[in-house]
Amino acid sequence: MSLAPTLGGAVYDRGYRPYEGPRGGRNYARWALWRLSVRRALGIRRSWRQKVLPWTLLGLATLPACVDIGIRYATRNTPPYRLDADIEDFLFTFKDYVGVSTLLLLFVAVSAPDIICPDRHDRVLPLLFSRQLTGVDYVVAKVSAMFAIIFGFAFIPQVVLFVGQMFVNKNGSIDYFQDHLDVLWKVPISIAILALYYALVSVALASLTDRRMVAGIAFIGLMMITHAVGQFFIESARPDGTIMSLVQLWTVPLVLRDIVFLGHVEPLGRLQGVEGAGFAAVFVYLAVLTASAAVLLWRYREVDL
Amino acid sequence: MPLVAAAPPSLPPPPASSLLRTRGLSLTYPNGTVALAGLDLNVPRGSVGLVGANGAGKTTLFRLMLGLLFPTAGAIEVVGLPVATDPIGIRSRLGYMPEHDCLPGDQSAADFVASFGELAGLPPRPARQRASDVLDLVGLDEARFRPVGGFSTGMRQRTKLAQALVADPELLLLDEPTAGLDPVGREEMLDLVGRLAGFGISVLFATHLLDDVQRVCDHVVMIDGGRLRLAGPIDELVERTGVLRVEVGGRPDAVEALAAALQQRGMASVALDQHVLDIDTRNGGDDAPDIVRDLIVDLGLRLYALSSQHRSLDELFLQGAGRP
Repeated sequence: MSLAPTLGGAVYDRGYRPYEGPRGGRNYARWALWRLSVRRALGIRRSWRQKVLPWTLLGLATLPACVDIGIRYATRNTPPYRLDADIEDFLFTFKDYVGVSTLLLLFVAVSAPDIICPDRHDRVLPLLFSRQLTGVDYVVAKVSAMFAIIFGFAFIPQVVLFVGQMFVNKNGSIDYFQDHLDVLWKVPISIAILALYYALVSVALASLTDRRMVAGIAFIGLMMITHAVGQFFIESARPDGTIMSLVQLWTVPLVLRDIVFLGHVEPLGRLQGVEGAGFAAVFVYLAVLTASAAVLLWRYREVDL
Repeated sequence: MPLVAAAPPSLPPPPASSLLRTRGLSLTYPNGTVALAGLDLNVPRGSVGLVGANGAGKTTLFRLMLGLLFPTAGAIEVVGLPVATDPIGIRSRLGYMPEHDCLPGDQSAADFVASFGELAGLPPRPARQRASDVLDLVGLDEARFRPVGGFSTGMRQRTKLAQALVADPELLLLDEPTAGLDPVGREEMLDLVGRLAGFGISVLFATHLLDDVQRVCDHVVMIDGGRLRLAGPIDELVERTGVLRVEVGGRPDAVEALAAALQQRGMASVALDQHVLDIDTRNGGDDAPDIVRDLIVDLGLRLYALSSQHRSLDELFLQGAGRP
């Protein structure tokens, strides 16, 4: 029995077609690695399981801004002196919102290992370095990807807060905008300082292992241990402040945030009464950045094929 | 003393068909290990086998070609370009398939290959299109949206080949592409590699399996202990040895009778067993096979087999390495 001929059907062997389109160079490779890293950390083009954690954390980080706006809307016609003290506790300033929350630490502890560890664990590094990328390019792309992710994580809630407060302000949006012009530069600068710090520290720590879980725990552990050590010095120095409080690594970018917002360190904070505390904080900040960059450049100085 | 680094020795202008040229290429690691010692090569474009035992210097040569290492002496040119001039830019013309596993298990093949297309400079949309095309070419069209973690060894090797091909390289560096494959997978991989030359892509195929090289390559480079043992077109290297092997029967002294008759015609022979005889036909001229056939008929023997003996790459490699 023979098969009936197929009408209009044909099989084509497409073979191999050379690529004749545009082709980027080394800068494009860096940009591509940055884009792929951001995409990976946010779970884009990955299964829903990889999307849940980063987007849930971002949602939770935005929640306080929504609560703040809701309270301000509900109490917009109530004079400030008649507001319940418990309600006032829910309201916060832009400076406070550029803070280091548990959510931010958790987000960093999840994202940084996710964009660094698999490359070493799955031995993708030799393939990456067979493209137009060097170790420095790799470090720059990964740190800047992490910087962008943290910046977005801290900045989006601020935008929600600013726009929300602007619209619920009883004196009108334009007045609110004009009264808060300084926020438009203080917030991005403070967040950039925070994001650069956490990007370098977290990526440097993650580069030391190929296991994501270990890298995440190491980051949280570093923050907790330095917090405990710093707290010991703070308790010992009470009621004065102490320069040793800068041992608490998580607080260092917050001191710089205070300098950006206030022009000086927080007068009643951990550095109360300490001479040259601002300079010391800047020094510690730069030292941590330098050490982290050195670790990264050492880790990616050469790659075996 | 001038504060200028000595320029690497320059090579004369390359012929248009040059794939890899080296002059006195040497690399000694800081611990004193000599990886390559004075390698002089001039390999034409096409499919080239790079043969050597483990530790012979194959991967080191790849690293030098990719500009990931710099020679301690000598010069190297890949696809006509000196690597020392632009060690990073040269990579845009190369595709590299490593020997070891290098695939992220949680990514789909399409996403992985497209990512490497983008890293090679292709815009996102063409990179995805190319990824689809090359995965189709390597036989993974149906599986391209599945996570690589669930792939068999053969499929993983194909995915690695696809990422090396995605940016349409001039030269493909394949490091042991058949390692770990079952016989069917190996055949399929060799078929694929064999087809690449037809697409205008040159291949440098590092392996220690000489059969694989003999099957898909038209040129071979053999290195051992960082030194060149042998290089040249495979057809010329495995040329006829001048030995004719015959298998005869029909009477108990068939081999002895034929040997005596050959001796009278000035052709030496060696009996391998009761039926097989190797005949040195170099004194017999081009008609030697006909003479041998006629002698067998005249002696009333039965001829079971007659074949010209070629040298194998294995023999050449062992000779080159100074082993019997």
